[in-house]
Amino acid sequence: MSSSPQFDPIPMLSDAPAAPVAPAEESNPIRDAIAEAISSHKVILFMKGTPEAPACGFSARTVAMLQDLDAPFAAVDILPDPRIRQELSALSNWPTIPQLFVDGELIGGCDIVTEMYESGELTQALGLEPAAPAEAPEAAPAEAPPLTIENRL
Amino acid sequence: MPSAEDIKARIEAAIPGAHAEVEDYTGGGDHFRATVTAEAFDGLSRIAQHRLVYDVFGTEIGGAIHALALKTQAPSKIQTP
Repeated sequence: MSSSPQFDPIPMLSDAPAAPVAPAEESNPIRDAIAEAISSHKVILFMKGTPEAPACGFSARTVAMLQDLDAPFAAVDILPDPRIRQELSALSNWPTIPQLFVDGELIGGCDIVTEMYESGELTQALGLEPAAPAEAPEAAPAEAPPLTIENRL
Repeated sequence: MPSAEDIKARIEAAIPGAHAEVEDYTGGGDHFRATVTAEAFDGLSRIAQHRLVYDVFGTEIGGAIHALALKTQAPSKIQTP
């Protein structure tokens, strides 16, 4: 079992308005919170469910690959509020979940992460020591707590 | 409910010179796996290649199409696994 990735859970979206998402660019607390989370974590995964309890096979596989590389990462569950996914996809111009960001850049979803994992590129992209390419692992339970999103909407 | 053939036809119609192989891997008409080869991908990052394909379907991804697993490549980059 890998060592626990460490990160501080940060509250997001606690100031989100109860009103429907405005189309205007002006004030968008959810998008701002997502952008802040992306910029303040070297490796951050937006997923369905949590690393301990992924709610989708694609998210589970992506978590398993990161854990196999012992990569510390923050995780955000997009399921609690549909606006998280809506704003994330608007921000990243990427329609599917999971989405992995490294150093503020979208690396890709499960397919791209899998290709990079199998080729060894993922290790490089994450700034980790190179390791031998391996088969994609089965999803395994995580040890670290996920980044939490507070919902007081 | 789109079929794998529908998905293939739409990708090939939207991306000039594209060749797509599409599989409906649950048989339910909403989870697809596609391998797409296109000249248009040449010189593009994987992210940009996948975006070209996702853009064919717009908001259907995550809607009627629950999953579209992608593998993309430019013809010059074809390699056997």
